[in-house]
Amino acid sequence: MKNQWMNLLAGSVRVKAQGKGVERLINACVRNDITVWNVKKHGDHIATFFILLKDVRQLRVVARKSDCKLYFVGKAGFPFFFKNMLTNFGVVVGACFFLAIVFLLSNMVWGIEIKGAKPETEYRIWKELKQMGVEKGALQFLIDDPETIQKKLIDRIDTITWIGVELRGTTFYFQVVEKNEPKEPEKIGVRHLVARKKAVITDMFVEKGQPLVSVNDHVTKGQLLVSGIIGKEGQTTFVPARGKIFGETWYKSTVVLPLEATFQVLTGKYMEKHYIVTKNISLPIWGFQKPAFRHYEIDKQKRPLRFWKWDLPIYYERVVFRETQEAKRSYTWEEALAKAKELAREELKDKLPEDAAIKGEKVLHQARENGKVRVELHYQVIENIAIPQPIVQGD
Amino acid sequence: MVKKWRQHMRRWLTDKLELPADIVMDLPRITMVGQIHIYVENHRGLLTFSDKEIRLLLKQGQLLVRGEKFVIKTILPEEILLEGKISQVIYIDE
Repeated sequence: MKNQWMNLLAGSVRVKAQGKGVERLINACVRNDITVWNVKKHGDHIATFFILLKDVRQLRVVARKSDCKLYFVGKAGFPFFFKNMLTNFGVVVGACFFLAIVFLLSNMVWGIEIKGAKPETEYRIWKELKQMGVEKGALQFLIDDPETIQKKLIDRIDTITWIGVELRGTTFYFQVVEKNEPKEPEKIGVRHLVARKKAVITDMFVEKGQPLVSVNDHVTKGQLLVSGIIGKEGQTTFVPARGKIFGETWYKSTVVLPLEATFQVLTGKYMEKHYIVTKNISLPIWGFQKPAFRHYEIDKQKRPLRFWKWDLPIYYERVVFRETQEAKRSYTWEEALAKAKELAREELKDKLPEDAAIKGEKVLHQARENGKVRVELHYQVIENIAIPQPIVQGD
Repeated sequence: MVKKWRQHMRRWLTDKLELPADIVMDLPRITMVGQIHIYVENHRGLLTFSDKEIRLLLKQGQLLVRGEKFVIKTILPEEILLEGKISQVIYIDE
């Protein structure tokens, strides 16, 4: 005998058969593998019985050959129960509401854990996070993604060298590596100081070591400036030479600057559109009008939506249209020249160490070709030319 | 003649070899639980059915069950489970 529970799960139908030969119909059913149960007779020509929902079609085929008329008088089991439930408005609303709540809660940030930070750094991180909107209860697709948070934190908090940001489920994990302030330099080994490049010496501060050159000397690259070997001959000792040797050095740079140029400049105006995106459908949910800008840049951010612990194949996409403007710039000859000089100077300054100073500049050559200004400049720079060279103490 | 002889042969076999009679001779096996259940195996189909009487076809002859409030709980090609209040079980030879 089959389990009644299975019947309940699969769904069953109560059939009323009317006509002559109800018994023959039942026999035919049984032979055609239709499970029949609870057969009852009501009067001479009426019988009721139950069959499985899936056998209804088969029963119709069988009944066609008999003289009986069939009426379906009752339904039971899960499929009908489910159907009834769907017609019940309250249940449907409740189920939708439940799903919505689970969906919403799975897309929230429920925990933030910061590890490896000193209390004061941790406090700063908390503050920054709060400013970025990363806090308990924030919706995940409205805040930045972990990479951006990581970048921002590293940029904004100078006492951390690195921070690992990981979003696991609904919890943010921050692994902090703090900067160790550099300690006093290690004991330096014995060394000389040599010239980094060709120069004329203008100033010298020797802290330690035996200076071998004097002011106004012309030195070449690699020439020994301060020796680390001191003392009289025969009684020499080795010391780490230390000091600064300032020399006048020369740089040449060439700048090419177009007289006319066009740029794309952001005007600061922007508008946002929000979409729900699946594999090939994108459904706008906010921001329906077309951007009113003639030129714009598009910035797209895509975040997966989550349900329970799974990433859904549905994404939330934020599209930002930033208005750009074409800006034209044209220089006169003098302006271009001045600008070129300025550029060259900036470029040079970037290359030079901080204690260097530009003493003078000279235009070697200037020409106008194909709407561009080409300037060759020569710079005199005062900078520290000394670099250490370790003394290899052989034998 | 041959049919009868075969019948004799089978009866002899079940007697001598102690084989179950319902298998060898294709007889119905009827199990009853008091008056309330009757379980018939090896039937050959339903002939008539009402809430007071059921008639089953057997390989040889028919089985008539009388009683009240009959309900066929399950029916399979060779088995049937009947529920109700059973008062008589009668074999009808043709």
